[in-house]
Amino acid sequence: MATTAAMTLNSDLMTGVLSANASTTMMKAGTSADGLDQMKMGYNKIPTGTSFDLLDATAAGIDKATKVYLCNESTDETYYVTIVIDAKTIGRLYGGDWMFIPWNQDDATHDLEITATGGTNNVTWICFHEGETLGTQAD
Amino acid sequence: MAISAAITLTSAAGDLTTNALSLSDSTTLTQAASSTALANTSGLARKTTTTTDQYTLFYADDYTADKAHKLYLKNTSTTPAEFFTVHIDDEKLGLMYAGDWALIPWSATDGTKATFTVTLADTWAVSDTIVFDGVTVTSAATSTTAMIDLIVAAKYPNWTVVETSASVATFTAKSSNYLGLIEEGAASDDFVVTTAGDGTGTVARGETAVASANDIKITPGQAANTIEYALFYE
Repeated sequence: MATTAAMTLNSDLMTGVLSANASTTMMKAGTSADGLDQMKMGYNKIPTGTSFDLLDATAAGIDKATKVYLCNESTDETYYVTIVIDAKTIGRLYGGDWMFIPWNQDDATHDLEITATGGTNNVTWICFHEGETLGTQAD
Repeated sequence: MAISAAITLTSAAGDLTTNALSLSDSTTLTQAASSTALANTSGLARKTTTTTDQYTLFYADDYTADKAHKLYLKNTSTTPAEFFTVHIDDEKLGLMYAGDWALIPWSATDGTKATFTVTLADTWAVSDTIVFDGVTVTSAATSTTAMIDLIVAAKYPNWTVVETSASVATFTAKSSNYLGLIEEGAASDDFVVTTAGDGTGTVARGETAVASANDIKITPGQAANTIEYALFYE
């Protein structure tokens, strides 16, 4: 099983061409034989003013090769979401921006949090992982 | 000017799920709350590490906080077990194995840079000196005003300085990661004043440093690891 993630960066910022292409087959940590074989995805409308746990950290995600894709689907360029992990602000995604990041879930505080600013921000996200600790039925 | 970033995520039928999955997305990297393109880049860089020590790729102090900066990172290794860990300051963001790449938004939250003032008083003489940050400034006149001018004109490796008044200069650390406390008073061991007469230079601390909490760091899992990276910033 394998999922590929390919990216192209092109820029005319400099006199010469600045271009970067990267493509990877997303593998489990430390192997070339076994691809990331689990995923979850979603589309959420994030209201302003509250920090939400978009993805809960799981013990099964410690020091693994988890990857998260997240796109802010807002069309208003002044809207943005702030990505926070364990109280550390990673960065902002403005309308149209996307990110593709590795996500280590060191402990239960490493949830991937999101806060919307400007208005309700719609986000698409996919988490590729190699396992999660599922909660047992409570009632 | 524009910077475009496109991503394609593909999983063939029968791979991750029974059905094929495909997602493509493209964006123009723009400034915060604007349709104007990001105008600056570090350029595409490549670094080969030689130890498993932590390396700092970008210091948050050097960039404006809370903008739309984007960081591209790639582990160029082809050995599956080789990885490096990406940290936002002391926070472990994630592990990047051979071939992995990432596009990361970066807030570049600044720390607080230490400041202090030095106030000159009484009578300074020609050849009186101050020594600070490895720099010696020697008085060429007999007034505090002239000495302040010389202090402000000097170039210090780790500090910037401005004239606050005719007898006061204010120093600011170049990095918020400089956490040392400059000794206060007229007999500071850090800001050494040597005068032939009764001239004095009195140090008073201002801002207390708070280390930058957002530097981009990597820690290789093995000594030799080659990383490609580029920062696009406002």
